[in-house]
Amino acid sequence: MNQEKYNPTAITLHWLVALLIAIAFSVGHYMADLELSPWKLKVFAWHKWVGVTIFVLVLFRMLWRASHTPPALPAGMSKLMKNLSGLAHMAIYLLMLAIPLTGWLHSSAAGVTVVYFNVLTLPDLVGKDKALSSLFKEIHESLNWALLGLVILHVAAALKHQLVDKDNLLNRMRW
Amino acid sequence: MKYIILSVVLVLAALWSLGEATASGIISDKSSITFVGKQMGAPVEGRFTRFDADIVFTPAKLAQSHARVSIDLSSIDLASDESESEIKGKSWFNVAAFPKAIFESTAFRALGGERFEVSGRLSIKGITRDLVVPMQFHTVAGVQTAEGSLELHRSDFKVGEGVWADPDSVAEAVQVRFKMALKP
Ligand code: HEM
Ligand code: HEM
Repeated sequence: MNQEKYNPTAITLHWLVALLIAIAFSVGHYMADLELSPWKLKVFAWHKWVGVTIFVLVLFRMLWRASHTPPALPAGMSKLMKNLSGLAHMAIYLLMLAIPLTGWLHSSAAGVTVVYFNVLTLPDLVGKDKALSSLFKEIHESLNWALLGLVILHVAAALKHQLVDKDNLLNRMRW
Repeated sequence: MKYIILSVVLVLAALWSLGEATASGIISDKSSITFVGKQMGAPVEGRFTRFDADIVFTPAKLAQSHARVSIDLSSIDLASDESESEIKGKSWFNVAAFPKAIFESTAFRALGGERFEVSGRLSIKGITRDLVVPMQFHTVAGVQTAEGSLELHRSDFKVGEGVWADPDSVAEAVQVRFKMALKP
């Protein structure tokens, strides 16, 4: 079946961001349980750098998406399904921005400035405030669970298209 | 009646000048001790919420001026509860054995205008070092205030030992800022 695809830039961004999110998510959970040590501080810094990279890539990805029409969805999909899929994608995009933002807010409120790759000092979004810092930490964590839920749904949907509907939807996200 | 008013004025004037000469103690909520360190190259701020100071400072009588500041190290406010309990522990401040940091002035020097230089000794964790601290003495909202900043090196006081000695994870230099609002 020869159907339309996303353009190569969109495809590359999709898989690159998916990979980086998997890394940031795993590293985030690993580091949160570590005992305070120089190692923990290092891993925290790396996590932030990966997270900020995702933030920038997603901003670019959204601009790219807004200026390039995606391929039409398979004809076999109901209107409701098309809308639901659009809604889910929208929610994933929002979370991909909100998660790094709350991480950055958490860090600022903790009194720790984010210095991207030890070079670029990002502005503190809020002043030091411990209560606010724990609040953003909680939100950062909850949003991550929400994203995990949506990604599981997303992958299940992709597999359903592939294996049940057999409309080869996955091919749209392959170079 | 005239004499009563005159004597009241005189007594008040005497009290006033007495008060000025013996200014001692600070107004806690207008005073602050904050600091900025660096971890993994990123600035981290914190502060001490409990400290006390005995300050007798008269620009015209520097020889009689004196300052002693005592900081309750367990009052440190850092990024998280976890880092606060770590920094109170043995490898950092060891507050159980050394609860306070103490600065005691030895001399004041005028640098012109509102600027002064305070020489003194700072003791942290059982180690005493000589310091020279630049300060500005001026009136902020009607309150005489001494402000300044200095750079400390944590290894001078063995703050952060063992695995924490590595300056790549936590930098050596710590910028300390102080603001002491003197009681009238
Ligand atoms: C962290 C992991 C992932 C995230 C955040 C993510 C996010 C997204 C987003 C936002 C879109 C919508 C693209 C658009 O139309 O603008 C999308 C599309 C797509 N994703 Fe993912 N994705 C992830 C992982 C995966 C995985 C593991 C698969 C494969 C099983 C997959 C398969 C697809 C496919 C086939 C599409 C195209 C859907 C369509 O044709 O409209 N994704 N993804
Ligand atoms: C999409 C990007 C990101 C993902 C997927 C992500 C994921 C996570 C996860 C899963 C955790 C563990 C939550 C927990 O169990 O407590 C975490 C913690 C954390 N994240 Fe992120 N994060 C991202 C971006 C960022 C950014 C950009 C920053 C800061 C600039 C950041 C700062 C933090 C911090 C400081 C923690 C530790 C919370 C704590 O224990 O104090 N994250 N992150």
